Amino acid sequence: MLHERELKVFVEGTTNFFEVAAQQPASIGSPYLVEEPLALHEYSGLIEVTGKREGVVCFTAPKTMLAVLLMKMHETDFGHETMRDLVGEVANTISGNARRDFGNDFRISPPRVLFGETPPIEPRPGARTFVIPIHWRSHSAKLVVALG
Amino acid sequence: MNAATDAILKLLIVDDSNLIRRRVERSQRFDRLRLVGSAGDGVEAMAAFSRTDPDVVTMDLTMPQMDGIECIRRMVALKPSVRILVISALADKATAIEAMASGANGFLNKPFTERQLNDALAELLR
Amino acid sequence: MSSAAPVDRRPVLLIAIGAMLAAALGMALGSGFRLATRLREDIAAVQAASALQAYPDELVREVSGLRERLEVRAYTGRALTTLRDSTRAFSDRLQALAAIDHDPATLAPVRRRWHVYRETLAPVLAFHGEPYVDSDTAATRLSSDGHRLYANLERARLLALANTHRFGGELAAVTQGLQSSASTAAARLRLLLLAGVLAALVLAAIAAWLLLSRARHERAAQEARERTRDILRTVREGFFLLDAEHRIGSVWSDALTRMFGREDFAGLGFRELLAGLVPAPTIATALKYVDLLWGDRANENLMKTINPLSQVEARSVDPQSHEPRYLQFDFHRVTGLHGVKYVLCSVVDVTSNVALARELQESQNGANAQLDMLIGMTRTDPLQLASFLDTADAGLQLVNAILKEPARSDAEFRRKLGGLMRELHTLKGEASALELGGVAERLHALESRVSGCESRATLTGDDFLPIVAKLDELVAYLRGIREIAARLELTGDPAPASPGDSIAPILQAAAARLAAEHRKALRIECAGFDAIPPAFAKALKDCLVQLVRNAAVHGIEDPELRRTRSKSDVGLVSARFARTPDGYELTVEDDGAGIAPDTVKAAAVRSGLITEAEAAAMDTRAAIALIFRAGFSTMSDVSLGAGRGVGMDVVARTIRALGGRIGVATAPGKYTRFRIHLPPGGAAATAVA
Repeated sequence: MLHERELKVFVEGTTNFFEVAAQQPASIGSPYLVEEPLALHEYSGLIEVTGKREGVVCFTAPKTMLAVLLMKMHETDFGHETMRDLVGEVANTISGNARRDFGNDFRISPPRVLFGETPPIEPRPGARTFVIPIHWRSHSAKLVVALG
Repeated sequence: MNAATDAILKLLIVDDSNLIRRRVERSQRFDRLRLVGSAGDGVEAMAAFSRTDPDVVTMDLTMPQMDGIECIRRMVALKPSVRILVISALADKATAIEAMASGANGFLNKPFTERQLNDALAELLR
Repeated sequence: MSSAAPVDRRPVLLIAIGAMLAAALGMALGSGFRLATRLREDIAAVQAASALQAYPDELVREVSGLRERLEVRAYTGRALTTLRDSTRAFSDRLQALAAIDHDPATLAPVRRRWHVYRETLAPVLAFHGEPYVDSDTAATRLSSDGHRLYANLERARLLALANTHRFGGELAAVTQGLQSSASTAAARLRLLLLAGVLAALVLAAIAAWLLLSRARHERAAQEARERTRDILRTVREGFFLLDAEHRIGSVWSDALTRMFGREDFAGLGFRELLAGLVPAPTIATALKYVDLLWGDRANENLMKTINPLSQVEARSVDPQSHEPRYLQFDFHRVTGLHGVKYVLCSVVDVTSNVALARELQESQNGANAQLDMLIGMTRTDPLQLASFLDTADAGLQLVNAILKEPARSDAEFRRKLGGLMRELHTLKGEASALELGGVAERLHALESRVSGCESRATLTGDDFLPIVAKLDELVAYLRGIREIAARLELTGDPAPASPGDSIAPILQAAAARLAAEHRKALRIECAGFDAIPPAFAKALKDCLVQLVRNAAVHGIEDPELRRTRSKSDVGLVSARFARTPDGYELTVEDDGAGIAPDTVKAAAVRSGLITEAEAAAMDTRAAIALIFRAGFSTMSDVSLGAGRGVGMDVVARTIRALGGRIGVATAPGKYTRFRIHLPPGGAAATAVA
């Protein structure tokens, strides 16, 4: 059971990245719950949380969206490594926000980047996974919060 | 403004993301900097530091391997005049204080705008 | 303090003036002394000059006397000695006068004339011989020396006679000169004395003014000190200054005593101040932070963002209390000419703010959720509970499915609201009926969130974050109920023989609760429920709950009103289920107020369903049909019982989904009857939305 405030912190971490780095705010779509394992997009930046809550928070996005995002950041390299760096940075921002707002309640790992065929995100035992669609320009990514 | 402050300074970027490196390179303040190396983790960073003897370092704190604070401490011990800008999504205060107390000269939270980066670099090169 | 600097400059100026005056006074006294000395000399000189003035006449007299003595052959020794003495006296005095005389021009003719006198007198004064020759025969006669003396005397007498008047005049001029010089000096001395007295007076005045102003300053400083003291005593914030060694200075506000439970702040270390109140790592970080402030490396804004004590949980100073407190520390550098002088620290107790925020959160979490969950469950029939939990699961899944539909625009988000409301409202009705207060409250809270969205100007995903969080909370809560129920074996039994059997008690409970809530008396009669086919059971239960609620809240009148209408105090709601040749029929009837077409029209206009014009053109039948429209409500207040405009439309939709139809008959003041026809079998029974 995740509190609204906690959810907001992760969401803000994500939208903040778009607003600051790409100078164009992202909006969030209609959030929902998932009880089954959840498949990810091509690129995902993931942080592991331990402490008061345990699980993962993950930003997952399709390649097309990342390419446009890089363009807006005046980046000229759209290679695989750059994509990886980008989702890593988003995860980094989410983790920073969470550290600031939750302090010692949460311990947060350095971001990990997943790409290609990745195992789906499993809900924590007895809990549901929150999926928050992130809309930016005509693209959509997901913020996945699977904490228990 | 004397000649020394206008001199080109050697820059080492410690961040596991190339994005940050390229953003620093694109910064307006980069005219006073020359990139001499970049490193993705603490161990690489110390090796690059000894090899390139930089004047300015930008440093991510959330890295695999050696922790960024330890890195700062070692760099300052090796070269007390080095100027270090922490660029990190660290956000928790104790870490920021620790970084500053270890010898960092400023910090910039990720994500950042061009302007924030320019201001932070300007403050660092002051 | 800024106003004090210009005030300080005036005494300095005055002291300078005073010093100049003192110097002038000293000079005046010095020259006064010199003048007085000269005056004394002048007076002596005047006396000497007056004495000299008598000499020319004296000389004429003495020379004439000596000559006469020679003529009568008298003794000349003594007269000669007198002449010598007076001549020497004159010479000495003149010498003395010349030594002190300030006006040689006046004295010069005297000295010149005296020179001639002395030349002429020299042979006379130098005479040493015997002027007479004694003889026994003749009378005494002059010797040759005597003749010479006589001749010299005669020359001196003639000179003296000829010069007496002029010499006297010249001597008088000297005297006069000396006198006027003395009187000038006296006048100057008088002036000097006057100036000296004046300067002394001014000096005294300045000294007095300085003393006075110093006293005034002293008083002002004293007042300022007192005011500072008053501020520090009264202010609610704790204030103190920290030096480079982290020590508290000599000034602090009294609020510190309350906050830290001590009074010995002077020279106290910051570490000691915090020790035992906040965790050691926090103290260590805080001290590092203060050091950074002293280091003056980063600007204040940057530093502010990393203040580790911006809100810190601190142990209470009262050892009895275990209530945590929250303190907010702010640090400011106070800089002087040579960098940071000290660090000003202010402390505020923000416990109440934090506590308020916490309370708000905790009330949302529901502190006695577990307890009320248990109480609700034990009062509920296990079969009904199990059935409700299934319904709720399905309902909430539907809610989640509605949420899951992608949405980006306001319209897309807004479209979700109706479905969410309907689903939640139905569930809430059932939860209330089962007296599952905790569930009903949560559903109500969630429904409030959803209905709150309707009034927003533009809907975004952010508005749905609290909804999904609440939904998750509700799912977790229901899982909790299921778990506890399973442990208590409340739901262990298999399904009842007839699903319809569980409905009657639900309705009874709902009726009893609603009657109590709305201060009404009513009784409910159920018949034929055992004939409800399982496929219809859930849907019909939902409808029945809604219909009974409407009857209880809107239909049945207050006992007083019923009496005036010659009805029994206790209202009757009857629900009958029966097979018919072409399927089934469910009738729900109450002997209440009936439905007034005008009230329905007015409510529909108020809810914006129809316009005034449309209302006016509507016949009774069409007006009453309005109650099946989505968004219709006759209740202005929103409570758990009814209202919100969801209800009859849900019933109608449900019935239509089952392939049936619903009709209403009513007579104002007499009754309202809903008649529902359902097809046989109930194959299409699962589709609800």
